[in-house]
Amino acid sequence: MELGPIWRSLSKNKAGFLLIALQIAVTMAIMINAVAIMQERARDMGRPSGLDEPNIFALSSTAFVPGMNMRALIDEDLELIRRTPGVIDAIATNSFPLRQGGSSRGFQTEPGTGKDDVGAAVYFTDEHAIETFGLMLVEGSNFAPNEVTWTEEGSDAWAGTVIVSRAFAEALFPDEEGSYVGKTMYVDQAKPVQITGVVETLQAPWKGWDGVERAMLVPQRRDFNFQRYVVRTEPGMRDVVMPQVEEALAQSNRNRIIQSMRTMDEVRYMAYLGDSAMIKMLAFIVTLLLVITGLGIVGLASFNVSRRTRQIGIRRALGATKTQVVRYFQVENFLVSALGIGVGAVLAVALNMLMVNAFSMAPMAWYIVPIAMVVLWSVGQAAVIGPARRASRISPAIATRSG
Amino acid sequence: MLKMTKVSKIYRTDTVETHALREFSLEVQEGEFVSVTGPSGSGKTTFLNIAGLLEELTSGTYELDGRDISALSDRERSKVRNEKIGFIFQSFNLIPELNIFDNVDVPLRYRGFAAPDRRKRIENSLEMVGLASRMEHYPAQLSGGQQQRVAIARALAGEPRFLLADEPTGNLDTEMATNVLDLLDEINGNGTTIIMVTHELTLADRAKRNIFVRDGRVSDGPPEFRLAAAGGQG
Ligand SMILES: Nc1ncnc2c1ncn2[C@@H]1O[C@H](COP(=O)(O)OP(=O)(O)OP(=O)(O)O)[C@@H](O)[C@H]1O
Ligand SMILES: [Mg+2]
Repeated sequence: MELGPIWRSLSKNKAGFLLIALQIAVTMAIMINAVAIMQERARDMGRPSGLDEPNIFALSSTAFVPGMNMRALIDEDLELIRRTPGVIDAIATNSFPLRQGGSSRGFQTEPGTGKDDVGAAVYFTDEHAIETFGLMLVEGSNFAPNEVTWTEEGSDAWAGTVIVSRAFAEALFPDEEGSYVGKTMYVDQAKPVQITGVVETLQAPWKGWDGVERAMLVPQRRDFNFQRYVVRTEPGMRDVVMPQVEEALAQSNRNRIIQSMRTMDEVRYMAYLGDSAMIKMLAFIVTLLLVITGLGIVGLASFNVSRRTRQIGIRRALGATKTQVVRYFQVENFLVSALGIGVGAVLAVALNMLMVNAFSMAPMAWYIVPIAMVVLWSVGQAAVIGPARRASRISPAIATRSG
Repeated sequence: MLKMTKVSKIYRTDTVETHALREFSLEVQEGEFVSVTGPSGSGKTTFLNIAGLLEELTSGTYELDGRDISALSDRERSKVRNEKIGFIFQSFNLIPELNIFDNVDVPLRYRGFAAPDRRKRIENSLEMVGLASRMEHYPAQLSGGQQQRVAIARALAGEPRFLLADEPTGNLDTEMATNVLDLLDEINGNGTTIIMVTHELTLADRAKRNIFVRDGRVSDGPPEFRLAAAGGQG
């Protein structure tokens, strides 16, 4: 291949080629980092909440008549829901994963002030929670019915036992290698709480929190006027059961309003709406940049074909085949791309390090770089093929006819 | 070695048909030095382009080395140009972006010679035209005569059997022109067949055989006739 002369001829026409190389470099840096962000978002979106999401929905009940017996109403409601055909189980809880609102507490391994603590989301609920959420209990046991107590609004009483997510247990007891069951921790700096069960996965309600995998079930029911019910149905029954439950609850007691009826699928969709929009926007930008870079390459190659019309005719006269003319432009583009891609790879890594530091992003996967190289090289080759074919059709007679 | 029989070339544009060659017949033997003269527009360049496989003919037959050229594919035509034919053009046609060495190298690379072989050929041919010391220069740094000598070196480096020159001295002053002609004589003396188109009868007369083209036809006439005809044309 005539790499040498192509390179030397390139360096005699630097300006245009350097600009295109720069464009390729910038495209590459932006593309790689956009893809890294997209990957991170997609990874977040793919994290399991721990719940049997396809078969779960949630709703709220707000009692508006003062002095109602909330404890009786909640029991009646749950009884009614659980009796509905197609329902597996139901609970009242203050929140649930992906809801983006809820409560959390700090837990420490020793009592006292000024100690390090580990935060976790707390779900105040009962012994039906594991079944309703569809959680996988990997250690210990579920709450016994008599472990579950009622708390009043404003009370700061804490349950003596909890079931925690494995991620929380690992964060609080990083050195523990055996069982977490039976371990004691402290809430509100002083109140001892014992771990009686560990579930594989249970996310906190906030998908953007870096402790999103840390959460726990607390066997305390709250008799507030506002209640959030979570219902799990048999597979495929959710959409049939939802209107029935809504109707039945509305009928059973008219002194409250049933609201916020949502499937977990909707809840997840809403939680990650920003992320999926971000992914779409970045995909659009990357595509646009690739198209613009491709067009830039087409433009420069076309310009060069015109500028070199005579020289191409001479080469043909001296024995170049059409294929060799096409090859010339391909090799030239390959060299310019190589320069752009080389610089682009360095820029991309630098930009990524900057973003990792500034936005505490995870560093990009190494393999994005070679993939981006191949993509840009392909775009370059695809862009140059049209002008190169045109060049190959230049008649060798140009050599004797013009000038 | 070259045999054209009733070759016609018609250029067609939207409205005009130009008969550049009309039943043009010519035979050139190995080792000949043929000059081609004729009035402007008579078809000299057209003949040379067809002879050099730069253009296709409209009708008739053309055999080069006993091979019918009209049957060849574009790829095969490129190969024949590359291996058998050397071109020298009026406007030198060096590639401005490449230095002298790389310019002479162009046809050798298409030929697929190995690097050491190419280097030897480039050095030898530049030596022959007296420009071995200018290999690193670019065409723009050389005089017209020097550029034409580089073009001759490029044409000869692949040792073609056949050298085609279209007004090789057209852009040169008399001294440089004589210089180039001396070089062509030397090349012909080494056995290379040469066909040279020229306007200048003094140069044409240095060839062993003179061809006169008029209205796309050949006439192997006497010089007086040619002089009169050329003078009559302009
Ligand atoms: N590509 C073309 N398209 C149309 N007509 C052409 C083309 N090339 C040449 N011709 C015409 O063919 C005729 C022969 O042209 P050619 O170039 O062979 O003449 P020539 O003898 O070389 O002239 P000159 O001495 O001026 O170089 C001319 O009438 C010219 O205008
Ligand atoms: Mg001419």
